[in-house]
Amino acid sequence: MSPTPVPVSSPPPLPGRVETDFIIETDRLGKTYGTQRALADVTVRVPSGTIGLLGPNGAGKSTFIKCLLNLETPTTGSARVLGRDIRTEPRASRERIGYSPERDCHIAGLAGCEYVAYCGQLSGMPMRLARQRTHEILDLVGMGQERYRPVDTYSTGMKQRVKLAQALVHDPQVVFLDEPTNGLDPSGREHILKLIGSLRRDLGISVVMCSHLLRDIERVCDRVIIIGHGRLLEHDTIANLKNRHRRVVEIAPAGERERFVAALASTGAQVVTLPNGRLRVESASDSIEWILQLMRAQRLPPAEIVANPDALHELFLKSIADNHGSQPQS
Amino acid sequence: MEASPSLDLSRWREAPQGVGYRRRVIAMAGLRQLLRTRFFRILLGLAWSGGALIAAGGFVFSQSIATGGWLETLAVKFGPRAEAVVAAIGGLVTLYPDICVRGVFTLLFWAHSFFGLWLSLLALTTLVPSLITRDRASHALVVYLSRPLTSVDYLLGKLGTIVGVLLLVWTGPLLFGWLLSMLFATDRDFVVYSFGPLLRALAFNGIALVALAAIALGVSALGRSSRVTVMVWIGLWAVLGAFASGPRTPAWFARASFTHDLGQVRQEVFRLDAVLATASAELPIFDQRFMGNLAAAGKKAEATDFTGALAALGVFVVGSSFVFLRRLRPE
Repeated sequence: MSPTPVPVSSPPPLPGRVETDFIIETDRLGKTYGTQRALADVTVRVPSGTIGLLGPNGAGKSTFIKCLLNLETPTTGSARVLGRDIRTEPRASRERIGYSPERDCHIAGLAGCEYVAYCGQLSGMPMRLARQRTHEILDLVGMGQERYRPVDTYSTGMKQRVKLAQALVHDPQVVFLDEPTNGLDPSGREHILKLIGSLRRDLGISVVMCSHLLRDIERVCDRVIIIGHGRLLEHDTIANLKNRHRRVVEIAPAGERERFVAALASTGAQVVTLPNGRLRVESASDSIEWILQLMRAQRLPPAEIVANPDALHELFLKSIADNHGSQPQS
Repeated sequence: MEASPSLDLSRWREAPQGVGYRRRVIAMAGLRQLLRTRFFRILLGLAWSGGALIAAGGFVFSQSIATGGWLETLAVKFGPRAEAVVAAIGGLVTLYPDICVRGVFTLLFWAHSFFGLWLSLLALTTLVPSLITRDRASHALVVYLSRPLTSVDYLLGKLGTIVGVLLLVWTGPLLFGWLLSMLFATDRDFVVYSFGPLLRALAFNGIALVALAAIALGVSALGRSSRVTVMVWIGLWAVLGAFASGPRTPAWFARASFTHDLGQVRQEVFRLDAVLATASAELPIFDQRFMGNLAAAGKKAEATDFTGALAALGVFVVGSSFVFLRRLRPE
C-alpha cells in the first residue's frame, strides 16, 4: 500500500518550511505494552492533504499518532514526520506540528488566551507574535469573550475549541486532531468541520484527523487510513476507495415515485425502496449520467441523487471484518 | 447555513526560537503564576526587608571606624561610656579588620540564611503543587511534550521556576544587602574581608537550591492532588524537622529531615565556630567571661554530623530525581 501523492491545490510554501513529498513515513512501526501489541508493523507513506484516520475503538489510532509525536516510544520500526526522524530529531520533528488530543488537557489557572499564547511560545514563537496569533486563532475557532476566563471553567465544547486553537497557534505544517468534534453542539461541529476543511485549502496545513464519525471524515478528508487491531488495513484516497466499492445510488424523487421505480426497473436495475422513501439502485457504472438521461427521456420530476452514500461506512466494516482473523499475535 | 470561517490570518514565517527560550518561557510562566498570589508578594516584601536589614547592619558596622561618622555622633548623645565603647570597637576593627569584618559579616549572613531558608520553604509550599502536580492532574504534559520540547526541557523549565523563586526570596536580598552595605562602606577592608563570608553564604545557597529543587520536583511529581502534595511537603519539612530537632533523636532518624541536614551543612559551610574561636583567641578583649561565652558559642555552632547530613541530602536528591523522572510521561 504505497500511494502516489495526490495533487492537491495548495498555497505556495512559506519560507523556512520543510518541503517533503510525504508528511508521514513509517517503516514497520510497532508499539507493545507488556504483552499487548497496540501497533504492529505499520508501514505507510502519507502525502500532504487532509487525512482521515479511521478504526474501531482500541484499534491503535491514538497510539499511532502518539508514536509519531514521540509521546509514546515505538517498540519497533522507525518513523519520519515532515522528513525528520522522530527518534534522532525529537524536537525538530515536532517544530511544525500541532496536536489536539482527544482527552481534555490544559494548564491549570491560565485564561484561554493566556493558555494559547503560552502554547505558541512553547513552540518557539516570540511573545508579541504569539499573542497576536492567539487572538486571530481564537476568533477563528469561534471563541468570544470567554477567552479571558480560566480554561478550568470552560464547557466541553469550549475546551474542544481551545484545544484546536493551541494546535494551530504556531502555524503548523501538519496538525493531528484526535476526535476534534467531540462534545460540540451541532452548530459548533459545523463550524469546526468547515474550519478543518479549509485549513489545507486556504493555509496549506495538512490535517490528520482521527474520528469515529465516518460522515465527518468523508466530508473533510481527501484520503483515509484505516487501522484495525494495530494493523494498517487501508490507505488510499476517498475517491479510489469509493470506486472500489460496489456502486450504489440513492434517489429521492420530488414526486411520482411509482413512475421512477418503473423507469428504473425497465433498465434492468434492481430497485429497493428504503424506509425513508428513497430508492436504492445498484449502478453498473461509476457515473450517474445514465439516470439523468433516463429522467430526461421519461420526463421524470427532479430528484436528489447521491452516489455511493455509505461507501466509506461499508468499506470500513468490510476492512475490519476481512482482517478480523489476522490480528497481531501478542 | 453558517458561512465558512474566514482564514485571514497572519502567518508565522520566522524560524522558531531556540530551546533555551522555550525553557525560559516555562520558568517565567511558573514565576508569573506565583507572583499573582498575595501570599508570595508578602513573602517577597519580607525577603527584601531582610536584605535591607543586612545593608543596615553592614552600614552601622562600617560607621564604627568613620571619624565623625554617624555612629560616633550618636554615641556622643549617650554620654562618655557609649563614646568609649564605640571608640573601642572602632579600634578593634581598625587593628583586626580580618577577624572583625569577617566575623560580623559571617554572623549577619549566617542569621540571614535561617531567614532566607525559612522564606524559601514557605514560598515552595505555594509553588510545589503548580510545578508538576497540576500538570499531571490536567494532563498538561501532553501539551508540553507534543511541542518541540523533551521531558528534560520541561524539567529544566520547572527548575528555572524554583531557581527564580530562591533568587527572589533568598539570594537576591542577600546580594542586595551586601552590595548596598558595601556602597556605604568607609574602608576597602570591608569589601575585602566580607567577600569570603559572602562566598560561603552563596555556597550554602547553592547547596540548598540543589537539594530543595530536587525534593520539590520529586514531591510535586508524586501525586495529582494539590492538597496531598502540600501535605507531603509540609510533612517532610515541618513534621520530620520537628522530630529531628528532639534532643534524644538518633542520628539516622534526624538525617531523614532535610531541614536538619541543611542545618548541618550550614554550620559546616559558614564555620561560625572557627570564626568565634578565632575571635576569642586573638582579639585583645580583657573580659574573660565574654571570651568564654564566645568560645562556648563557637563550640555550639560546630557541625556534628556533616558527612551523614550531606549523604542524606544526596539520597534525597537521587530519590526525588528517580520519582520525577519516572513520572514524566504523558498519561
